[in-house]
Amino acid sequence: MRRVAVIGVGVTKFGKHDRTSAELFAEAAGDAIRDADVAPSAIQALYYGNVTGGEGEKQLHMGPLAATLLGIPTIPTTRFENACATSHAAFRHAVMEIGAGVSDIVMVGGAERVLNIPTDAATEYFAYCSDASWEQSVGLTFPGVFALIARAHMDKHGTTEEQMAHVAVKNHRHGVLNPKAQFRKEITVDMVLKSAYVADPLKLLDCCPFTDGGAAVVLAAEEVARKRPRSVWVLGTQAASDTMFMHEKRDLSRVMATERAAAAVYRQAGKTPADVDVVELHDCFTIAEIVATEGLGFFEPGLGGVAAEKGWTSLGGKIPVNPSGGLKAKGHPIGATGAGQIAEITTQLRGEAGPRQVEGARTGLTHTLGGNTATVLVSLFGRG
Amino acid sequence: MADHVLTLKHFFEEARAGRLTGIRCGKCGELAIPPKEFCPTCQERNWAPVPLGGAGSITSFTVIRVAPRGRGAEAPYAVAVVRLDEGVSLLGRIVDIPFDSLRADLPVRFRPIVTGEQTAIGFGPA
Ligand SMILES: [Zn+2]
Repeated sequence: MRRVAVIGVGVTKFGKHDRTSAELFAEAAGDAIRDADVAPSAIQALYYGNVTGGEGEKQLHMGPLAATLLGIPTIPTTRFENACATSHAAFRHAVMEIGAGVSDIVMVGGAERVLNIPTDAATEYFAYCSDASWEQSVGLTFPGVFALIARAHMDKHGTTEEQMAHVAVKNHRHGVLNPKAQFRKEITVDMVLKSAYVADPLKLLDCCPFTDGGAAVVLAAEEVARKRPRSVWVLGTQAASDTMFMHEKRDLSRVMATERAAAAVYRQAGKTPADVDVVELHDCFTIAEIVATEGLGFFEPGLGGVAAEKGWTSLGGKIPVNPSGGLKAKGHPIGATGAGQIAEITTQLRGEAGPRQVEGARTGLTHTLGGNTATVLVSLFGRG
Repeated sequence: MADHVLTLKHFFEEARAGRLTGIRCGKCGELAIPPKEFCPTCQERNWAPVPLGGAGSITSFTVIRVAPRGRGAEAPYAVAVVRLDEGVSLLGRIVDIPFDSLRADLPVRFRPIVTGEQTAIGFGPA
């Protein structure tokens, strides 16, 4: 396989927009093309991610739509849907297309628009990413999925609601430093603990928001990328799945797909958790960040909550997690989230992250989780 | 082999009548919730239906307070993962148990939740 690098990134402001998801993607992709300093016509394929467009925008067939808005309507396109891990899954396939020698320059990204529909409708559409017969039928929601995980983690490890609140407080503190973030205001542990329960033990401020936004990255083969000093290399990218059913999860306090994908990507890249300098991971709920920091090997099982409480995952801490603000504060436009994380890690490794820069970061990791923990992608990136 | 004695439709028709049915692997004895084509343990394709008693205990639970569209009037409601005595688990709606008495290991018993044509899994007091 040929080596692959990220040569350009683009992200819209995350939040509420009055443009279609395809328009949001086109803005991000346009910025990524400019950042890559390539001609639009140099893009040979588009891997596009979107989840709820069929329901919320009555729009399918989004790959060619996105390419049309970009002004490159004749390239091959494919639309991906892997719940919240959608555009990270698209990324893995684009890396394989370049690695296999099929294309030299490929665009990857995604977009989501959900703030144009009522919250209960968006909650319903997101729940389509859990199983229809077993989970939607009893009214399980996404906060509900992670509430089941939170309760199991609390029972097994003694993790507390206060420790979970520290994750939200930290990610909001980081989000203040990110001009693209949906929320740019600090919150306190007390505010989190006093916010209303959504799915016990998770409260409103344990949950990421609904978000509109787009994100895109331009990938290139080694021959193209090595001429560009700002290239960030893909050291590894892996996907793993787990049973689709909550009733079959082996241990509700763990996310097995995270552990599988992480083990595979460390092996592929020849790295260990100790080599990682900066992380963008899937904090759709505060407990999700705690479980992910354990599953990715940064902390022993049961210490994820302690790490949040002690500041080990803050900017300036042992292993800075979600300097962008994460899904919690930056926002979670689900089809764009994976590409957005990759854009942030690229920016960090280029040393261009401004006030949220992790000093001297050389190796970065992205982790994106789909739906009821049945899909996870983990990728590693490095300079030089 | 391919008469699919336990499609989802059959499972829920039985459940509607108050009966839970699992499938057991004829080669390795693995017990599972249908439908499944191959045994995830031994890769055999040789399942036989087995009745499940419906008794179990809670593994984890939550109280859903923000419901999807169409379920707003039902909220708040509790949902739990229940490990049945035979060793397999099912997710279900908790009925007739006060929220504040829910805890891990609480014994519960299967009870179908029938709404018009729809059947869903429920659990009530043991
Ligand atoms: Zn078997």
